[in-house]
Amino acid sequence: MRLRHEEWGAWAMLDAEPVLVALHHDAVRALGISPGAVAPGPRPPLEAHVAVTERCGAGCVGCYVDAQPDGHEPTLAELDARFAELARLGVFVVALGGGEPTTRRDLGDVVRAAKRHGLSVVATTSGLGLRDEHITALSELTAVNVSYDGSGDTYADVRGFRGSSGAESAITRLTAAGVHVGVNVVLTRQSLPQLETTVLRAIELGAREVQLLRYKPSGRARSLDYLTRRLTPEQVAALGVDVEALVSRLAGRARVRIDCALLPLLSLHPAFSDADALKKHGVMGCEAGENLWAVRARGSVAPCSFTGSDEGNALTEAASDTGLSAFRAWNSAPDEPCASCTLFRACKGGCKVVSSFLSDAHGPDPECPRVRAHAGRVG
Amino acid sequence: MSETPRKVDAVCNEHGVLVVREGPSANCSSIGSVVDTLFITSVVGGALFVAVAAAVQRERDKVTVVGAPKADDEKEEADDAPPP
Repeated sequence: MRLRHEEWGAWAMLDAEPVLVALHHDAVRALGISPGAVAPGPRPPLEAHVAVTERCGAGCVGCYVDAQPDGHEPTLAELDARFAELARLGVFVVALGGGEPTTRRDLGDVVRAAKRHGLSVVATTSGLGLRDEHITALSELTAVNVSYDGSGDTYADVRGFRGSSGAESAITRLTAAGVHVGVNVVLTRQSLPQLETTVLRAIELGAREVQLLRYKPSGRARSLDYLTRRLTPEQVAALGVDVEALVSRLAGRARVRIDCALLPLLSLHPAFSDADALKKHGVMGCEAGENLWAVRARGSVAPCSFTGSDEGNALTEAASDTGLSAFRAWNSAPDEPCASCTLFRACKGGCKVVSSFLSDAHGPDPECPRVRAHAGRVG
Repeated sequence: MSETPRKVDAVCNEHGVLVVREGPSANCSSIGSVVDTLFITSVVGGALFVAVAAAVQRERDKVTVVGAPKADDEKEEADDAPPP
């Protein structure tokens, strides 16, 4: 296992199974491991999202980075240096994204470079136009998620074109190659009613994990269309029950994940109302700039893939990056109602991409039911 | 180790397992968390934590320490530091 000392004990990533464990000092000592020193200052992330290219020709209407067919593509040597720095910091997982990672001709070399540094490597792909060499490269990964919002019209509504058959083919072929395949399902007002159908179809094709993603106003989705695509308050109110029903329906056939931005939207459901329980089970809210960093294609660091710009510091200067420190500073002294919310330690105030778009402020998530209720009380 | 099923909190206290985070998620844009375990009973959750504690023990002889600081900026651990 890989182990990283912390002030309270250590994080450990197991070798035999993909599990990250936080161990108290006493548990670390019981392993026969001497207490280790911890560098001063902010802790490095557990996970980094690395854009290996800005290129993508799919043209999804809601692309969160506005990827283009002719976007920037870092060299293999540049990526290798970034992986080396992330490993030196003690990052456990890198998720390769973009743009579309499979637009790189040297994707296999990129994957092997990251693995040489001891990192657990995963990737997200649209699955469109997947060739045999892509399958070979992706089969070296710990896991691969395919973007799949539904079949037919549902996919077309979220992405803006009819591409579900390409994604479905990718799920099937990657599964046949022995890859642990998950699907990313973006929840919009239009796709949510089809969620169970979408998920059951993905499992039928071989997916073993479902990641539910909140639609976010970033990139090409940062427009007024967001207001007609985001979940309605009624859908948000029922979302916890929907997720519980989905978990029950799948009955162990596939794991269900939520993304960091969904936690506040689920905060009315009893299963999501205990911060201690959420933290013990490793459920994370907005970890941007803390347990999560993003590294853009041009090498700048950002709190997450939806935030920041190419003006961020280089990865080697991340400790002094103002974007990362702004997220940390808000988390250490959040505004109300987050400051007094019992869920804050897990939720971290919800999605700042949403709050910056809707209220032009780095503050509480305006779509959180608890925040909305507070706003109703204070007028 | 007792075979009596125990609740998550008891297992955490006994084995020093503060957090179990299943993963990694393969999403590249936002951090993902498994939520299946939130809907199971605390006793079943306790069994999961016991299994993870056992898995940690099985790997005790092949530990690689990562993210070690440079010698000139080391800071000692603090037993009273808040958990993650």
